[in-house]
Amino acid sequence: MDYDPMVMDDAEAMGPVVKISQADSVRVKYQLSNADISFANSLRRVMLAEIPTLAIDLVEIEENSSVLADEFIAHRLGLIPLNSEGVDSMFFSRDCDCDGTCERCTVTLTLHAKCTGDENMHVFARDLVPTSERINSVLGNPIITDADGLGPLILKLRPGQEVKLVCIAKKGIAKEHAKWAPSAAIGFEYDPHNKLHHLDLWYEQDPKAEWPPSEYAEWEEPPQEGEPFDYDAVPNRFYFNVESAGSLPPDVIVSEGIKVIQQKLAGLIHELSEGDGGDGMNGDYGGPRSPEYATGADGFGGYTTPFGNGGNQSSWGGAGGTTPYGTTPYGAGQSTWS
Amino acid sequence: MPRAKSKKEEPVEAGSDVVMEEAPPSHQPESRDDMSVDQDENDGPEDVEDEEVDEEEEEEEDVQRVRLLPGSTPTAASFEFLNEGHTLGNALRYIIMKNPDVEFCAYAIPHPSEAKMNVRIQTFEGTTAIQALEKGLRDLQELCDVVSDKFIDAKEKFAASASS
Repeated sequence: MDYDPMVMDDAEAMGPVVKISQADSVRVKYQLSNADISFANSLRRVMLAEIPTLAIDLVEIEENSSVLADEFIAHRLGLIPLNSEGVDSMFFSRDCDCDGTCERCTVTLTLHAKCTGDENMHVFARDLVPTSERINSVLGNPIITDADGLGPLILKLRPGQEVKLVCIAKKGIAKEHAKWAPSAAIGFEYDPHNKLHHLDLWYEQDPKAEWPPSEYAEWEEPPQEGEPFDYDAVPNRFYFNVESAGSLPPDVIVSEGIKVIQQKLAGLIHELSEGDGGDGMNGDYGGPRSPEYATGADGFGGYTTPFGNGGNQSSWGGAGGTTPYGTTPYGAGQSTWS
Repeated sequence: MPRAKSKKEEPVEAGSDVVMEEAPPSHQPESRDDMSVDQDENDGPEDVEDEEVDEEEEEEEDVQRVRLLPGSTPTAASFEFLNEGHTLGNALRYIIMKNPDVEFCAYAIPHPSEAKMNVRIQTFEGTTAIQALEKGLRDLQELCDVVSDKFIDAKEKFAASASS
């Protein structure tokens, strides 16, 4: 018992350490040390896919005489990063009480452009104008970072062509669609000298000569000549390079990422504790071991029995009616049928 | 969904074959006739069904996301998490394994196309798997707190060093 955990405990006695090596408006580079790879990877995954942002989700096209198809334009509009500052206090539109649109769950943007000159006209993201009530004055503005203040090019119009459309931007996460991703790319690196042999570098003659050293190589001790392989070693320092897509500043992406993990955990803790009855945890195990389960007398087998039968034996201790498994159509219906 | 389920329950009560009645789409007006007959004959079961439908709807808003898998004992239990994946699973496994009262902890995603994540916890005498799980969740939250604070400190330090 005293080999692996103890070694790790010593290293982690100081607790995790964060060091920032570069930070500006588009990226933050930092080092997370004295943490486990599983936590570092959770943070990476959450920053990639689970931080809510705002993006155009519905487009009502009133007029489109451009050469591009309606759905093509709608897709391009969806991919335009929108300022998501304050998106935290918005609802997901599916959770909102309103019917359709309100300032708590959506931002409406309109685009109306007609080429009246004799040269082709370029329509940029700056031409998207937020027109609805908003909870703050920047939420939903298209992100414009170029020197000319144009933003991404949406489409081009020949003389006489026109587009007129209304966009409804909603809150969402990148797990559902990548347009909601707050980060453009996340660099994640550890063990620049490959001491742990997690990488099997391809080579012709000599991997050391053929592979360029990582930018973090000088941050860590290179392996000594003839050093034996340490099979107890675990990765301990992680180099993140978080690049923002624009909707959230890079440091906010990191903070929000941690927040999202915490919200996940809080939700689960809440769910575990709300079902607890007065008899505490120990009574909770009646359910899975109950004779009803073993016999499977009714036709529904193991699925309903441990949870559906005998309400207060349900695994989380709540009365049968409070757990979803107690009120399944099968579980509840039994009283009617028998 | 709830509507479809309630339709299915009806023929069962009438004692007829669910599958045969439901299968051909052309039978829809007929089954609607059945419904009206049911209503005329006795209101009792109708009421019960309405309640059931209501309950189902409530359920869908508030689905239980963690459940204990069958075959668990106090010190050795498997949990099934809905809509969770490697993001939570691996970190949770690590933090639960750190608990000295835990003998074994592992997680698995049994099938990639089902949004389910299973965690197995075996503890030594004196604590239960549920307690270990809850401690794990709280410990992980604490770890997040610490990293969050450290990141904010580092940001302030960086800003100070950049401006000076």
